[in-house]
Amino acid sequence: MTTERERVLSDFIDAWNAGRRPDVDAHLRRVDAAERDVLADEIASFLTWAPDPEYDDAALVALTADAVAALAQAGAAEPGSWWSAWLPLLRRRAALTRAQLADRLGERLGLAAATRPKAERYLGDLEEGRLDPAGLSAGLLDSLAGALGIGASVLHQAARGRAASAPLFRGDDVAPDAAADLDVLADALTTQVPQDWDEIDVLFRGGNSA
Amino acid sequence: MTTAPVPNPLECRHLREDELLRLYCHHRDRGEDERAAEMWRQLAIRSHDRVVAMARAFRFPGGGRLDPEDAADAAQEAFLRVVEMGASFAGSALGQFRAALRQCVQHACLDHGRRELRHERRRAGSLDERYDGAADAGPFDAAIARHSVEQAQLAAEAEADDERRRVRSELVAWAIGQIRNDNYRAVLELTYVERLSADEIASRLGITPDNVYARRSRGLRQLETILRDHRA
Repeated sequence: MTTERERVLSDFIDAWNAGRRPDVDAHLRRVDAAERDVLADEIASFLTWAPDPEYDDAALVALTADAVAALAQAGAAEPGSWWSAWLPLLRRRAALTRAQLADRLGERLGLAAATRPKAERYLGDLEEGRLDPAGLSAGLLDSLAGALGIGASVLHQAARGRAASAPLFRGDDVAPDAAADLDVLADALTTQVPQDWDEIDVLFRGGNSA
Repeated sequence: MTTAPVPNPLECRHLREDELLRLYCHHRDRGEDERAAEMWRQLAIRSHDRVVAMARAFRFPGGGRLDPEDAADAAQEAFLRVVEMGASFAGSALGQFRAALRQCVQHACLDHGRRELRHERRRAGSLDERYDGAADAGPFDAAIARHSVEQAQLAAEAEADDERRRVRSELVAWAIGQIRNDNYRAVLELTYVERLSADEIASRLGITPDNVYARRSRGLRQLETILRDHRA
């Protein structure tokens, strides 16, 4: 006789193979508490060797956003290296050259066409680790996220580094240097913008105050 | 020397996981570190859901699971380990990659369990006493080694059908072939290799969906045993 656990396992398998990104906890909750450990083991066994799901483009975009967000939240790397590792990939996934991304930013931010080559140079600096991401303004990050098709909070977390990532504010996970990081952020917020900066400089280097 | 171009990630959407791995190995073996790293990132992204789901399904060797919040943290940590593994992964087969993924998840979950123990939120005794997954030895190593030997023999045979050879070369397909029960083996082949749904399998084999559910579950347990039992 087929058990409910076997039926739920099959549902999970079908959802996985179809690229529907099934939720493990939701499936475990469908069986009696006494059956959950066995089902968990079966799901783990299946997943280890399961075929690559048939993701459609929307699922792949969502998957990418989740993966990148996981790295940003965890402060997987120093903020600068995070950007040089992931921005080129996100840009190319959105099928944009640097110049095209600068154009999209210009459109979203209402920038004059003449300023876009400078924005493109800044994007290049960001991708190649030559620009401190702490200087990226909130408006720029929002526009960048929109152009790349990912959640803005991902880029905000990535730009502000560990001090801004949610896990740091949970109980005993607070990093010992978090206070120092917050001091750096506070300094950035109160820094005066040099008078010879134009709007592109402010967007890419002015930080949260811009 | 000419080098293979790095595929545009838009094109990577349509590359299978094993093809991404092959590209990673290609660039890694040529010392093209940047290209290898990019391929690995694609591979890691593709594996994100698998890592998260495995962490949520993880069970401690002595029983018990992480609570959902800790499982989410462990999943995040496991994913980081997978990303970082690109700098040191020496394997070349999909089976090795999958075994390494599972090991990343298990180690991340066990580490979370240890932290919980330290905080006295968990009282399950020593995890290390019951876990035999040393950093350099995984539970599937023996099966992978035996599979590799058989693949070397297979590669020596000229075979015209690349697709059939590819499917046969995967560790899981090999392991399914070791299952003695014909009914379980047929259902698992259609599940893993052809990715048919339970209803489609029932229709193909002329059995009820309930039979498919039962054979999947029981066959899966035999598959796990086969992959774990082939110790040298």
